[in-house]
Amino acid sequence: MVKSIRQRPLAWAAPLGLGLAGCAGDTSILDPAGPAARDVALVWWGMLAFFTLVFVALVVLWLYTFRGGSRPERSAEDERRIGRHWILGGGILLPGVTIVVLLAWGVPAGQHMLPLPIGKPPMVIEVVGHQWWWEVRYPDAEGGEVVTANQLVMPVGEPVDFHVTGADVIHAFWIPRLGGKIDMIPGRINRIRLEAEVPGVFGAQCAEFCGAQHANMRLHVEAMPREEVEAWLAARRPEPAPTPEHAEAREHFREHCADCHRVAGVSEGDVGPDLSDIGVRATLGAGVMAMQEGAIADWLRHHQAYKPGNRMPAHDDIDAETLEAIGAWLETLQP
Amino acid sequence: MSETSTPRRDPEELHRTLDEVWANPRGFRALTVVNHTTLGLRFMITGLVFFLIGGVLAMLIRAQLALPDQDFLSPDLYNQVMTMHGTVMMFLFAIPMLEGLAIYMVPKMIGARDLVCPRLTAFGYFCYLFGGIIIISSLLLEIAPESGWFLYTPLSSSEFSPGPGSDFWLLGVTFVEISAMAAGVELVVGILRTRTQGMSLTRMPLFVWYILVMAFMIVMGFPPLILASILLELERAVGMPFFVVEAGGDPVLWQHLFWLFGHPDVYIIFLPAAGIVSTLIPVFAGRPIVGYSWVVAAVILTGFVSFGLWVHHMFTVGIPQLAQTFFSAASMLVAIPTAIQIFAWLATLWLGKPRMTLPMLWILGFLIIFVIGGLTGVMLALVPFNWQVHDTHFVVAHLHYVVVGGMLFPLVAGAYYWMPLLSGRLPSERLGRWGFWLTFLGFNLTFLVMHWTGLLGMPRRVYTYDTTMGWDLFNLISSVGGFILSVGIAMVIVDFALHFRFGRRSPRNPWHADTLEWANTMPPTNYNLVSLPAVHSRHPLWDDPDLPRSTSAGEHGLAGTTFGRREMWGSDPLTGQVREVVHVPTNSWWPVSAAAALAVVCVSLLARVYVVAGLATLVAVVVLLYWSWENGAHPRASASDEVAPGDPPLHSRTLDGPGRWGMGIGLLANGALFLSLLFGWFYLWTVSPQWQMPDASPLSLPLLLAGGVVLTAAALWLERLVRGLRRGHDRGLAFGLYGTAALGALQLVLLVVLLRQAELAPTASAHDAVVTVALIYGLIHSGLATVLVLLQGRRVGYGYVSARLPYEPLVVVQLWRYHLGVYWVLVAAFWLLPTLMGGSA
Repeated sequence: MVKSIRQRPLAWAAPLGLGLAGCAGDTSILDPAGPAARDVALVWWGMLAFFTLVFVALVVLWLYTFRGGSRPERSAEDERRIGRHWILGGGILLPGVTIVVLLAWGVPAGQHMLPLPIGKPPMVIEVVGHQWWWEVRYPDAEGGEVVTANQLVMPVGEPVDFHVTGADVIHAFWIPRLGGKIDMIPGRINRIRLEAEVPGVFGAQCAEFCGAQHANMRLHVEAMPREEVEAWLAARRPEPAPTPEHAEAREHFREHCADCHRVAGVSEGDVGPDLSDIGVRATLGAGVMAMQEGAIADWLRHHQAYKPGNRMPAHDDIDAETLEAIGAWLETLQP
Repeated sequence: MSETSTPRRDPEELHRTLDEVWANPRGFRALTVVNHTTLGLRFMITGLVFFLIGGVLAMLIRAQLALPDQDFLSPDLYNQVMTMHGTVMMFLFAIPMLEGLAIYMVPKMIGARDLVCPRLTAFGYFCYLFGGIIIISSLLLEIAPESGWFLYTPLSSSEFSPGPGSDFWLLGVTFVEISAMAAGVELVVGILRTRTQGMSLTRMPLFVWYILVMAFMIVMGFPPLILASILLELERAVGMPFFVVEAGGDPVLWQHLFWLFGHPDVYIIFLPAAGIVSTLIPVFAGRPIVGYSWVVAAVILTGFVSFGLWVHHMFTVGIPQLAQTFFSAASMLVAIPTAIQIFAWLATLWLGKPRMTLPMLWILGFLIIFVIGGLTGVMLALVPFNWQVHDTHFVVAHLHYVVVGGMLFPLVAGAYYWMPLLSGRLPSERLGRWGFWLTFLGFNLTFLVMHWTGLLGMPRRVYTYDTTMGWDLFNLISSVGGFILSVGIAMVIVDFALHFRFGRRSPRNPWHADTLEWANTMPPTNYNLVSLPAVHSRHPLWDDPDLPRSTSAGEHGLAGTTFGRREMWGSDPLTGQVREVVHVPTNSWWPVSAAAALAVVCVSLLARVYVVAGLATLVAVVVLLYWSWENGAHPRASASDEVAPGDPPLHSRTLDGPGRWGMGIGLLANGALFLSLLFGWFYLWTVSPQWQMPDASPLSLPLLLAGGVVLTAAALWLERLVRGLRRGHDRGLAFGLYGTAALGALQLVLLVVLLRQAELAPTASAHDAVVTVALIYGLIHSGLATVLVLLQGRRVGYGYVSARLPYEPLVVVQLWRYHLGVYWVLVAAFWLLPTLMGGSA
């Protein structure tokens, strides 16, 4: 499991609204790293402040009506007038004005996320949701499309258009620190524009319930300068020359795995994730395990225990040595 | 009217004669009971049992999420538990519980003795009970639905959910919904047509207004989900691809139909609860509500607006921007009627002298929690914010604030308020206050913190999470809070359970309330009031605190019973002026038999034993027709048409009994179902990504027109007969009815020929699948209309229908009008428009 302890100062105070943004993990929408998320976070704090005021006023008024003592004698006409004022003021004016202000102020906060035409067309990244992993494609990469899985590299400081769809059921694409989410629906392509203002690693997780392993469908998102993205893509373009060692493992892979998985220059399966650069990925199983030495073999043996119900069949019919050989070879795969 | 002419009689004797007619049988025959008091209690007790089951499921969820990386529940089991928690709480607890309360309370508040279709109440109860048992059994067998309570396709389709879980949901929930529809129809009719003398709409208790709007919303709001469930079950069982993109369907259609139901459903739950608040606040403030008309207008407005908000559950599916902004604004607008009510309550407290009793403590809890839920609701209606927090724990927190605050807290307040009426005893104040504070603190601990968990990015419906996410502490707090909450609720339930034995005896009308239910004895009798008082204002018991005694003494209308019938007033829907004596049916085996037959249909569909399902359907139809046979002027319904001197005629001897209204409201529901089907048709046609439309309509125009002409002729003939009956003559009535039936049968045959000739491939394309369903819908109506008019012909022979008894054909003719309209709309939507627009992919 991915283990790293982060400091969370004032975490206990967070629910009281005292904890400030940035105190939590890498999926907090209150720790925005892009213009869209920042606008929404601002809208949130504004709404929270005003609505807290409304709420406190209402409850105080309510409790105040229970005070003891005598009430002034009022004529029926007075009572009607007071009642009318309360209803018109609190029931119509208050929500009416609030709604108008909220719409006028809040709706533009979403503009950043709309894929409207802009001067220089943004980079397009296609993301396809599968049960329970992510397929990421760079259709416009120089020298041909680059395909990878469960990791997403994007340029920092410029908008990126994400074209998303679902391969099987409905999933949802969401990088909380960059902006809102959009559903990935089979048969449709939805678009959302996001921008990272700072380089870094951002958490992302499927947000639409998609079955048994919905909880373990995470995406490793990394924003880096444009040149580094280009280099990253370029590295994945050429067919890697098969290393002379591990020839036997490759044969095992062809026999057991090739129908589902692609490894550039080795196999073309497209049922499961592309494994061409799996050796340098941060995690395995869409975020279930950290990548380290021996992790792939471990995963191959026990993946149904680590991620119960995942679509890869259990490998009970393959002996441990073979799995270890395949794992050792896969760990060497890097661009 | 016998209001003043009835001589004083001995109260004991009056009670005895009424009790003889209204008594519930005991033992095995208790299954035949139709009385609203008994059935209302059964609804509520059954709802309580399901609530406890749903609560245990919630505790399992909180136990699993208390710590990161737990394996207390397997992912599979967690998803079943999560799905069933939502399903049970929504369909088996919240809605039936409030229906039960309405069924119990409404007749007592409007001065009636029962709901107007008591056997329908019983039928609804058994549909609920059997459906609930079927749904829960899936959990015990560990094959429960596991694709979420919203059952989004394609996850719930046979490809991605091959087990029977989704079928349990679709069939079981539809079965339970029959009970909601039954309750909806009869509550509308009961409220509109059986109020006591003088209770005009403007004098109706607010609670009854809320229930009236809720009942209309059930009638209009449930059919989209019923249709969606039928379509998805057809897709799963037979392979009709309504939601499959490659075949021209669209999974998003399911979401539209689901939320077309789902959003009104939130208000179906909230309105009765708000009705409780509007009832209690004036009583405990010791003055009438401020702004009665404002509140009524707000409730009606809520009912309308709530049908235009469903898309706010779907802001992330990629709907065009402009439409999103529209639905965003509409969703916020619903804050206005809600705020009107809140400020009317506040003004009532302000101008009154409120007492902080135990029920009012729960109302305070309601206010605090519900207002927070309402405010986060306004936040969620803002599209950009929604895109961030949609499907996170923020929404889980919001919805629990709305439904627990908006429904459970008022419900408990209402329970404490009305419990003395039910039992004649008062619950314990001390236990009740402990229960309140534990529930209130536990609830806020659980769900206030959960907003934050959602803002930290925790999605909904995850069975586990990693410790690096920083969600541990908040989840632990939520889980601890959840268990405190359950202790609080347990104390409340214990309090209620104990008070039946140990509670202090309560005086009559212990809260000095103004509404008629408190004129009842405590506990009430099966027939409610010995005599039915006239009302002259909104506050009959404040006007005349002596009503409990004078009604029991038989000093008002319809005192006792003279003819051995179950009688009450039938009144004008607007003014409440009495115009008929309504005689309601007595205990019967038909309802439970019909529900049992439907349960067999449901189970055999689940087991995919279609022969048994077909046979059981046939049995159910026969039972329902026999049931309908013993109605109106049938001797078992009412042997004589005698009434006491001065009383109006029996409803079955007039032109406008409640049955006509029942048929009308039923057809309204049917129309909502049909509109949902048309919505699906046009939606797929215009939006589905790979819609395939044949170049020419597969339907034969000559056959369509021939069928239409025959049907129109039959309907016109029936209209003529009905006009004659209205004028008081019945020449050629039997012949005419048989003739209409013959034409109806001919049209049925033409429709069958049309269906066969069209050579549709309903399992290959969504287009053909929708056309098939539409034609089958027409076929079912042809069959039903034909059979009913045929039975009317028979009834003329038996002397149940004649110039003197013109009532029943007036009921049946409405179905024919509806069927005729639907038929021509079908021709326009499925032949004319496609032909005009030209077939294009």
